[in-house]
Amino acid sequence: MLSFNRLVLNEWLKMSKKRSFFIPYAIIAVALVALSWAFKRWGGDMIGSASEFTAMMSSTSFFGQFTAMLAVIFTAGLVASEHSLGTIKFLMIRGQSRGKVLASKYAAALLFTLSLFVWLMAVGFASGAAFFGMEAGAGAWRDLWIAGGSSFVYSIVYVTLGFMMGVLTRSTGAAMGVGMAAVVFSSLTIPKSFYKYVLFPNADLSVYSHGGQPPIEGMTLPFSIAVLAVYMVLFLGASFVTFKKRDIA
Amino acid sequence: MTQSQNIHEETAVLSLRGVSKKIGGKTIVDQLSFDVREGEIVGLLGPNGAGKTTTIRMIAGLIQMTEGDVFVRGSSIRHEWKKAIRHIGAIIENPEFYPYMTGYDNLKQYQRMNEWISNERIDEVVRLVGLEQAMKKKVKAYSLGMRQRLGIAQALLHEPSVLILDEPTNGLDPAGIREMRDYLKTIAREEGISILVSSHLLLEMEQLCSRVVVIQDGKLVTVRAIGGASAAEEKSFVRVMFRVGRFDEAKQVLGSQEHAEILQVAEEQNELLVALRYKDIPETVTALGAAGVPIYQITELKQSLEDEFLKWTGGNRIA
Repeated sequence: MLSFNRLVLNEWLKMSKKRSFFIPYAIIAVALVALSWAFKRWGGDMIGSASEFTAMMSSTSFFGQFTAMLAVIFTAGLVASEHSLGTIKFLMIRGQSRGKVLASKYAAALLFTLSLFVWLMAVGFASGAAFFGMEAGAGAWRDLWIAGGSSFVYSIVYVTLGFMMGVLTRSTGAAMGVGMAAVVFSSLTIPKSFYKYVLFPNADLSVYSHGGQPPIEGMTLPFSIAVLAVYMVLFLGASFVTFKKRDIA
Repeated sequence: MTQSQNIHEETAVLSLRGVSKKIGGKTIVDQLSFDVREGEIVGLLGPNGAGKTTTIRMIAGLIQMTEGDVFVRGSSIRHEWKKAIRHIGAIIENPEFYPYMTGYDNLKQYQRMNEWISNERIDEVVRLVGLEQAMKKKVKAYSLGMRQRLGIAQALLHEPSVLILDEPTNGLDPAGIREMRDYLKTIAREEGISILVSSHLLLEMEQLCSRVVVIQDGKLVTVRAIGGASAAEEKSFVRVMFRVGRFDEAKQVLGSQEHAEILQVAEEQNELLVALRYKDIPETVTALGAAGVPIYQITELKQSLEDEFLKWTGGNRIA
């Protein structure tokens, strides 16, 4: 376990030592402060409290989707860049199994995504508190957790897809492109029955909150969770099998 | 040779046994077997495309072998990869690092991957390759020579028994090549590490290695000791070029000499290439003089590794 933690630390340092590491955090902070100011100035009584603002910002229909994109962009290169830099050769001959190395990379991707959401919530709440005050109405906290939680799940799904593409194609660009395209596609819904088995309409679990209508007839929260679980297993399975077998040339 | 040296020579640190690699229907490495013994520097020599890099990658477990196995200190790389790889340090093609990190941060990355590497060990290898001044600089500011040295530091960090280097002098300038060679010799001596180094640069191999394994088209061609006893024996017979005045008479005289053999005749240049024993040279010259043959030039022709290499590999596919 100790050595796995060290591997995750390695991966985290590989991301965080890049100069571009602070960009997604900066974008989120600047955007949230600007938006809270704009809502206060022009939004009238639309938003009443910090928690309401944060819930709205972190929902998939607002800033949650954008955060998912940031997460995909900054984790797409985790595997592919080792190939393009050539550092994969050193990484694979240090006595740590390939499965463990890949697992540490995936763990780092999840940690990074989580850190973006924690940051999104923290900045959203702080900036919301400054502009709208702290009083929260009934159920505001619940809304906040539903919005943030479903956005986080949504991000994890697409980060995993991008992660798999990075392993399969060894190209950061391809991984990023496919991941982003999938995020964009997820807002399209084809009203056909087969489409409910596709990843996209299932990725956003927040549609089931407040007794909302499912995107396609017959979809339920457990159904979507099951579909997502199957896709995640597929993505990770393909990643691990490929990564373990591959000849590194 | 003392007893202990004999024993040392018996122990193979690294053994390849019938290693093959097939991709599609094509055989890239074919039934390759050889040993690297304790403290030895062995060259893996072959023209481009001979399968050197593939062999090295199979030894390091980066690519899977189709047949055969590699043993590192007795552990199979196929079945006990963790135990085997622990003894291997490698630089495969160019040493690549995370360019946005400092040299020190890069080494720390590899330190975290093996529990037993101490901070003192990092300092020690850094000192060994002489990079103390550059550790706080980002790797993107490093020259190729510095990256090579950091690569060696990386490869030595976990105290391996055998160092595997793939074309380590590729792209280095002459000073860099010499520096590299000196480092490798120092390492072999001070750390007692065996080294397997692949290259197509013959002169390089001659100066660095005690033995060369020559491969072509993935097959073992020959294993030769360099500067060893067998070479000395061969040296007692030398090839001497005589440039003479009266060609036909000279030919007659040389032909009648005992223990001498005319290898080649170049009549237009009045040159005769003769194989004879070193100690017989004065006698031969006297005989030529006695026959009244004017001698303009006597030159010993040394057969270099390059000539042999060309002979082994057919000479048409040199890189």
